[in-house]
Amino acid sequence: MCLNLKKIGGLMIKSILKLFSVAFISVSLTIISTVASAEITINWPSIWVGKDSKTTVIRELVDEFNAANSGAIKVVIEEQTDYDIYAQKLTAQISTGDLPDVFTVGSDLLDILYRSGKAMDLAPHVNSDSHWNNVYPENALQSNMMGGQLTNLPYELFVTPVTYNKKLLKDAGYDEFPDNYDDFFKMCEAVTATGKVCTSQMTGKNAWTSMLWYSQALASAGGPDVYGKGLDHPAFVKAFEVMEKMYKYTTSDAIGADAGVSGGHFLNERTAVFMNGPWFIARYTSDGIPGLHENIGVAPAPMLSGGEGSPGGYVGGKQSSLAAGKQSDPAKEEAVVKFLKWLTTPENVARLSFSSGAMFIVKADLPSDMDRLFQEMNEQKGNAPYVAPIFINGIGSLPVAKEFSQALSALALGDVTPEGAVEMLKDAE
Amino acid sequence: MKIKKDEVIWLLIFIAPAIGLFFLFFILPILFLFITSFTNWDGISAEFVGFENYVKLFNKKTFIRAITNNLYWCLTAAIITVPLALIIALLLAHRSRGWKVFRTVLFIPQVVSSAAIAMLWAAMFNSEYGLVNFLLDYIGFSDYQNHNWLGNVRTANAALIGFSLCYVGYFMVIMLAKTASISDDYYDAANIDGASQFQKDVHITAPLIKSTFFLCIILAVIFNLRQFEYVYLMTAGGPANKTQVLVVYIWNELSVQRLGRGNAAGVIMIGIGALLLLTLRKLLKSETYN
Repeated sequence: MCLNLKKIGGLMIKSILKLFSVAFISVSLTIISTVASAEITINWPSIWVGKDSKTTVIRELVDEFNAANSGAIKVVIEEQTDYDIYAQKLTAQISTGDLPDVFTVGSDLLDILYRSGKAMDLAPHVNSDSHWNNVYPENALQSNMMGGQLTNLPYELFVTPVTYNKKLLKDAGYDEFPDNYDDFFKMCEAVTATGKVCTSQMTGKNAWTSMLWYSQALASAGGPDVYGKGLDHPAFVKAFEVMEKMYKYTTSDAIGADAGVSGGHFLNERTAVFMNGPWFIARYTSDGIPGLHENIGVAPAPMLSGGEGSPGGYVGGKQSSLAAGKQSDPAKEEAVVKFLKWLTTPENVARLSFSSGAMFIVKADLPSDMDRLFQEMNEQKGNAPYVAPIFINGIGSLPVAKEFSQALSALALGDVTPEGAVEMLKDAE
Repeated sequence: MKIKKDEVIWLLIFIAPAIGLFFLFFILPILFLFITSFTNWDGISAEFVGFENYVKLFNKKTFIRAITNNLYWCLTAAIITVPLALIIALLLAHRSRGWKVFRTVLFIPQVVSSAAIAMLWAAMFNSEYGLVNFLLDYIGFSDYQNHNWLGNVRTANAALIGFSLCYVGYFMVIMLAKTASISDDYYDAANIDGASQFQKDVHITAPLIKSTFFLCIILAVIFNLRQFEYVYLMTAGGPANKTQVLVVYIWNELSVQRLGRGNAAGVIMIGIGALLLLTLRKLLKSETYN
């Protein structure tokens, strides 16, 4: 068989040229239609979607913004339903420099975001517009500047007190939540005797709920500045000793469980004590068993005797900050800043806070009928001698933060001692 | 086929896109992976660190465990999954009543999203409400009530690897297809000799699909060396890093911005893969599946 390759090649080149012609015409038409419309589209990969307590108001705010800027600016939400996957995606985007127009960023990524040089510097806008200094507390923005640049706007705050089911504790003979760990574990014994489980824990993903407990115990043992003392400080071991006991009073599926499982047990009254941020308040009503919200009490975490922390101390910090990708088009940059301003108006922040129970750093006139649990948390936070960072933010090392869940599961399974768990963290570093 | 001298240029033009794409999407990334494995690249900046990443990796218990676990996965595939697929293929090759139903049922996991299957099995293994514990309790194994299969260091690997057996259908279909190409003459001759069905399976069908069986073993080993989604979705390498596998380990390194070290782990994984393939070719005698 002898193929006429020359003929076949000629035909192929003709076909390819035809294909290119069609593609060129299509692209040209698209460009023409885009230019003609002149509407600026802002993409926002948002985690405040799905079951998140801020979903409804965020959607309303975007719709209202789009309506007010019809034909000029359009914000498009890209739904990011998994917080961890979103964080991983954002990490990759920061590295590649392919940042979204608007996005939220956790405290652990702020340094790399600044170093990437791909984030929009908001400092010139903040300096030229009184809005920002009016809505943010003094120094809130200045303290976020790096190298003279402001690459993020602190937005959502959080504290993570203990939330407990008053009815289940009463059944166990407790009217008040214990203020020290000795009494706390006695209470857990009593709760277990009633056939219920004392605490909701988890080691899946970033072991969020358990990591918050660990952070509380750590601040109680080593004080709010414990992270600066390094992993060799005995507080890290002491806090793991607390966690070791804590896992004796949790559900059988805690190892490997994610936040949905851990929170689900509390929402369904299978566990008596749970720790999470104020954003979970709305879910006590929406997803909890009937009457759950009324039965919930709020308290600071128990204290370790002989620790360097102070009674009533809280842990918390910045939950998420607003940021934007660097823009080459000044008109689009202005549009992005306009949207960020919209998200940070006191009225809109108050709406978000009221509907979700979340806390924000932006000054907002919160209505007097804010949720009871929010008010209690806010009051306790105001009385707290300190608000220490949570472990994954305070430790300042992504690999150590990532290893925490594995060290915790090893500890809970008896695979390592509390000292061994700290060694695992050191090894990850 | 006879190719004229002036047509050589056209041949080169035809294969250029394939070569170009292969270079762009395989050779270039591997070169990039290899070069960056000697740096402390964090996605923003990189400095040459020599063999530091490799030394650190081989000093990490978790990394060694990841390699060991991957070898378990490969071994399980080679000595359990594929032989099981062979047995099922031989049984279905009889074309007994309802064989198509079995074939379809066994192949279903292959067409369902692996993420969905992983989530389903994670729920089935759940200690509080999972079906596995319920069934065990129902048949009298009350010790397993509330047993956390995926959260226990003794059972997590077994549960993960055991669940992977539901992918037996993929290899079964490949071998079943091969049985269809066997000439009936062999079976007719065996019938004349009075051979039983078992004898026909063992002495005719099995030897004639040996090359496909070996191919399946190689495919299974490759699939299991790059095992990711089930481990990531069901245990994320836990508890206590006991179910860690290489790709999840690499993923973890990349997700904490240790891209240089993650890439070093990637280079080691390529090396292990190449070594495994060469060993298998040697063991299974390459001419039998070429």
